Amino acid sequence: MLSIEGFQKTLKYWTMFEEGLVCTVMLSLFTVLFGFILAMIIALMRMSKSHILKGVSSVYVEVFRATPLMVQLFIVYHVLLADIDLPTFKMFGFIRFERFIPGVIALSLNSAAYLSEIIRSGIQSIDLGQTEASRSLGMSQWQTMQHVVLPQAIKNILPAIANEFVTIIKESSICWTIGVQEIMSAVNSVKAATFTIAEALIIAACVYFCLTFPTSKIIAYFERRMSRGDRR
Amino acid sequence: MTGDKLIEVKNLKKYYNKGSLHALDDVSVNINKGDVMVVIGPSGSGKSTLLRSLNLLEVPTEGSIWFHGVDITKKKYKDETGAVVKVNIDTHREKMGMVFQHFNLFPHKTILDNMILAPMKVKKMSKQDATEKAMSLLKRVGLEDRADAYPIQLSGGQKQRIAIVRALMMDPEVMLFDEPTSALDPEMVGEVLEVMKELATEGMTMVVVTHEMGFAREVGNRVVFMADGKILEEAAPEKLFDHPCHPRLQDFLSKVL
Repeated sequence: MLSIEGFQKTLKYWTMFEEGLVCTVMLSLFTVLFGFILAMIIALMRMSKSHILKGVSSVYVEVFRATPLMVQLFIVYHVLLADIDLPTFKMFGFIRFERFIPGVIALSLNSAAYLSEIIRSGIQSIDLGQTEASRSLGMSQWQTMQHVVLPQAIKNILPAIANEFVTIIKESSICWTIGVQEIMSAVNSVKAATFTIAEALIIAACVYFCLTFPTSKIIAYFERRMSRGDRR
Repeated sequence: MTGDKLIEVKNLKKYYNKGSLHALDDVSVNINKGDVMVVIGPSGSGKSTLLRSLNLLEVPTEGSIWFHGVDITKKKYKDETGAVVKVNIDTHREKMGMVFQHFNLFPHKTILDNMILAPMKVKKMSKQDATEKAMSLLKRVGLEDRADAYPIQLSGGQKQRIAIVRALMMDPEVMLFDEPTSALDPEMVGEVLEVMKELATEGMTMVVVTHEMGFAREVGNRVVFMADGKILEEAAPEKLFDHPCHPRLQDFLSKVL
C-alpha cells in the first residue's frame, strides 16, 4: 500500500521521472508532427479521384485501426527495423535514439490512421458551396483547400484532434516495452531498485495528468480564438 | 458594345444517373457582350445547370462551351501555330464572376478578407491595392462600415451584396447569377436587385437565373425560357412576357405572374 516512506524512497529516483517526462514529451511531439503530416496525405488520398490512391489509403486506415498498437510497435521494432543499424547516440544525454525512433514511427503510423479519418470528416463537413465560390473566383484546387476549406475544417475538428493528441501522450507509454526510457520505464526502474511500485505509479499518473490536462486546455483556447466568425 | 459573341454554348447535354435524367438536353445559346440574359423556367428545368456549366462547376456530358475562342470543356486545344495548349479553367473562371443563391461567403474571414483573398492569391495584387479596391466597391454598395465584420453579422441582403462585389473584385467580363434573391427575405430582395440593375446599366454582361419576373422584364434585354432541359423560347422581354408562343411558357407565366 501507499506510505510516506514509499514516496520518500521513490522520489529519490525523481530524475528518472524527469527524464521520462522529457522523453514522453519528445515522443508525443514527434508523433504529432509526423502523424499529422501523414494523416493529411492519407486524408487527401482517400478523397482523391484515383481508385489506386483511394484503395491504398483505405487499406492503410483499416489495417492500422484493426490491429493493436503494441503489435504494430513490435512489428516496427523487431521486424521492419530489425536489420537496420540506427545511429546509437543519446538525445539530451539520456534518450536512446535507436529505441526512440521506432517508437515514433509506430506511434505516427498508428495515429495517422485515426487522424486522417478525423481530417477527412472535417473536410467533407464543409459545404460544397464554399469550394464552388472559391473556384469560381479563379482560385485553384490547392488554394481553395489551403485558404477556404482547411481553415474551416480544422476549426470544426479541433476538439477531435485535441482528443487524439491527448491519446498520443497516453499511448506513448507503450514504448516502454521496446526500451524507450519514458515515464513508465521510470516506474519499472523504481520497482526494480526499491521493490515498491504503488507510489511510483501514482507519481507517473500525476505526471501524465500534468501533461494531458494543459494540452487540452491550450487547444480549447485556440478553438475559442478560431470561432470568432461564429459569433454575431 | 452589344453584339460581339462572348460565350457560345453548342449542343450542351448533361445527363445524370447514367443517362436516365437529362438535366440539359441539347442546349445551344450565345451570350453577347453587354447582354443581360435572364433565364426563367420551372424548377428542375435545367436553368441552374446551364448557368453552372458556363464556368464548369457542372461538367457537361456532351457539347462545347466557347469562351475567348477556346472550348473550355476540353482539357487542351491547338493554337494558331498548331502547338497544344492546356486549358486552364482557373483563368477562365477568373473572368466569370458568380453569385450563388446561398451567398457562399467565407465565414472564417471578415468581409474585407473575403474580398481581397482571390485578387491577392490569383492576381497577385498587393494587399494595399486590393484593400483600396475593396473599400471603393464596398462604398458603392453602401457597406464600407462593415469591412471588418464577419459574414454571420450581416443580413441576407447585405451578404448577397458582398458576394456580388467580391466577384467584381476580379474584374470579370461576365457575371453569372444563380437565383441570387431566392434565399432572401422579401424585404431584402430589392436592395440586391438594385445593385444588379446598376451593374447592368454600366454595361456588364450578365446571365441571371431568377424567379423575379419584374427584374427580367425591366433589366433583361433577352429572356430565355427553359423546361425539361431545353430552351423552349427566347425573345426580348416585352415579347416573351406579353406574347408568349409556347404553351409551356403560357402555362408557366399564368402561374407566376
